[in-house]
Amino acid sequence: MLTRDHAIREFSGGKVHPDRLTVKRHPRYPALAAAMMRAYRTGAGRTRQELHQAIEKAFAEEDDCPPKRIRAFCKILDDYSEFDTAPKAWQTRREVLRHAAPMHPLARASGNVFQRDEKAAKQEIAAALARPWPEIERDYFADTPGQHRLRAFAGPKEPAALLSLYNLAQTQVALFDAERLTLELTSGYKAALRAIKFSRLVHDITRVAPGHYRVEIDGPVSVIRETSRYGASMARLLPVLVRLRGWKLCAVIKARGWRGRLALELSPETGLKAPPGAAPEFDSATEEKFFEKWGPEPRDGWTCHREGEILHRGQKVFFPDFIFRHADGRKASLEIIGFWTPEYLRAKRETLQHFAGERLALAVRDATKADFSDLGFPIFPYRETLQPKAVLAWLEKL
Amino acid sequence: MSGALPSGSPGTITFAEGLVRFHSAEGVHACPPGDAPWTWDARRGWWVAEAQHYPKLQIQLNEDPGQNGILDEVPKWKEVHFSKLELPPLHSYQSAAIAAWKAAGHRGVLALPTGSGKTVVALSIMAEAGCSTLVVVPLLALMHQWWERIRQHLGYEAGVIGDRQFCYRPICVTTYESACLRMERLGALFKLIVFDECHHLPGRVRGDAARLCAAPWRLGLTATPDLPAGRSEEVGALIGPVCYRLAVADLEGDTLAEYEVQKLSVDLTTDERARYDELGRLIRDYIAERRRDDPKFEWQDLQSAEVKDARARAVVRAQRERQAIEDRAEGKLEVLEHLLGKHPQIPTLIFTGSNRMARTVALRFLIPCLLDHCGKSERRDILGGLRERRYHAVVANQVFDEGLDFPSAKVAVVLGGQSSPRQAQQRLGRILRPAHGQTAILYEVFCRDTGEVQRSRARRHTDAYARSRHSRILRR
Repeated sequence: MLTRDHAIREFSGGKVHPDRLTVKRHPRYPALAAAMMRAYRTGAGRTRQELHQAIEKAFAEEDDCPPKRIRAFCKILDDYSEFDTAPKAWQTRREVLRHAAPMHPLARASGNVFQRDEKAAKQEIAAALARPWPEIERDYFADTPGQHRLRAFAGPKEPAALLSLYNLAQTQVALFDAERLTLELTSGYKAALRAIKFSRLVHDITRVAPGHYRVEIDGPVSVIRETSRYGASMARLLPVLVRLRGWKLCAVIKARGWRGRLALELSPETGLKAPPGAAPEFDSATEEKFFEKWGPEPRDGWTCHREGEILHRGQKVFFPDFIFRHADGRKASLEIIGFWTPEYLRAKRETLQHFAGERLALAVRDATKADFSDLGFPIFPYRETLQPKAVLAWLEKL
Repeated sequence: MSGALPSGSPGTITFAEGLVRFHSAEGVHACPPGDAPWTWDARRGWWVAEAQHYPKLQIQLNEDPGQNGILDEVPKWKEVHFSKLELPPLHSYQSAAIAAWKAAGHRGVLALPTGSGKTVVALSIMAEAGCSTLVVVPLLALMHQWWERIRQHLGYEAGVIGDRQFCYRPICVTTYESACLRMERLGALFKLIVFDECHHLPGRVRGDAARLCAAPWRLGLTATPDLPAGRSEEVGALIGPVCYRLAVADLEGDTLAEYEVQKLSVDLTTDERARYDELGRLIRDYIAERRRDDPKFEWQDLQSAEVKDARARAVVRAQRERQAIEDRAEGKLEVLEHLLGKHPQIPTLIFTGSNRMARTVALRFLIPCLLDHCGKSERRDILGGLRERRYHAVVANQVFDEGLDFPSAKVAVVLGGQSSPRQAQQRLGRILRPAHGQTAILYEVFCRDTGEVQRSRARRHTDAYARSRHSRILRR
């Protein structure tokens, strides 16, 4: 992901326009993208610094190019690359220093009585380490970020794909400054709701009409504070959304050094493309573990489904983590509540209150920190992992 | 938490999530106390203000009898009793600094030069205050140093927040990084908050460490009160204004070692000079050409030109290459070789203008190199090695600009760097630490007939450089 330092955007007509490269307006960019990818594809063994210099060189003749754009491309290409971070370089340095310290100070010119000849000292150390000096020198600082050597590049293969990645990344950065966003979903909403659920954003889902959901995603803690971390979580939703067909996002942006609020509106018509590979996964380890433990086979007739169904009460919507279905038609759901922020828990409480009477159980981590006992739902406290056994006992009694 | 209040109750203020909240049965119609910038949170039904406004609010609640009856449930801090105080006797300026801070209402910044015993001042204030205290520092290494000093002087094992630890105790040390992340939960636990090197505080994220904190007593420590425009106001608003200031010259010979500054100039090699001048011509030609169209075109306008002009980018690159030539001039390495030979037994600190030069020096002379991405074990090895005299010299770039203790370093060599007075003061501070009344020497090496000359002059304008002795090394 890019950082604010890479952000290029324009403000006009009360709207934010993130930097956008299109073939029509930027006809030379497909060729530039091809040159950049070539540098990385054929760049195995070169240092990050050399690669970045190669990218800068590719743009040497290009007038239409803010320096931030070059740095943004470097960052995107780096993000798709595997570098050798040489974690052992420090050991080499320690070894060399251990030998060199008693010889200090080294001198190239004929020095005074205290000084040792640099060349001879280095030969001596190389012999002690049983490695040629040029090799030691090459690896000596291989762990500094600029000296990391490229192992493999797994980025896009088509120039157009790199430009799409860039466009998406610039839009993501613009969302870093989002205060609030409203998301309308008319298709593929399960994937989106799931991502929102695990993004730990404070949100409120309502059903506008059958098959049409509105998600209001809240500013983090209060009405007056801005947090950039929260903006980053919002940005991570975007790659999930661009895979869907029916969605519309309106973000309220508060840009630094800009009075008033700006709007950023996105939808499939914006033309943002999904990055290659799977949609980003949010952390849901507890849920995964429980699901794995339960297994694909029914237990005492109960099958476990992940986020299989959306529950409605009037306009209120709740999307439980698990639905259990029995062969005889009985059905129940389970929600896992890890300990997140107080705001998140409060929002969850509010939603759950609307679903009183539902056949729903709550698994609560560290029940002392988040008390849900007054809601009337059965509660399974857990610490590290949630065991299917307790849940099964409850299901049996239904 | 928003439980119903009995009607007629004037309300309660509490701390939560970095904010003070005012709950009242009258909701939006209630009049929140004091003159804090309250905001009505319609979603949750209470009034909120950033916790930094609490100190004023507390005073107003105590003073205005009309607001009596409002319950103040913010403070969660405790009294702390130190059983084994072992503080050194204070210098007169240290006592004066403490008195000034107290007179300013237990808030404000003390500007004391590096090496003048800022830590002792803060520890004395903590000892006298005897209350929950959080000490916030810029680097992990400094955090551990503070922990040690608190144990040594106050006989107290402080809690540690940061460095992958979370161990809360009424006296705690932490870093700015951790403080701004966790203040929304810690904000009401400490009555006194100490910001070491408080010029680190300004900024949207780091400022949270002070904004979300309700501590009524605030102490800022710095050696460099001259922050860029706007920033010192920010520190003033978050901690309080500078309430005591002492210059390096006021201390010389008293607490600090005698020092001496020597400026050494080197020439570029023939090849370096040729390239340097060629790049200079390229830059001049471009500017002259632009000025024909726009007589007001300035060097600063290049930045906006860069966006749509490949040549402007090339000019900026050329300027960077010129600086790199100055920064890594071969002649500087020769001078350094000479200086290391001249002081072979004396611990020496070398400052460069870039990481690249630091690495070049480290490889040429095989001395340890402290860079900001150094791991913990390497850092410990380097600092420990220097203290134990296993290493005789160490080279660093920016990372040294903070107050790590090098009691034994007596020679410093500045091979390049920024011209800001703040960096210069801190760099000089490294060798000004008093030890056995020895004279410390600071060598400043720069390239003649280059932009470095101007920057060197700018450095000298800070008062620590006011008297400097010139000498000159001829190239062999």
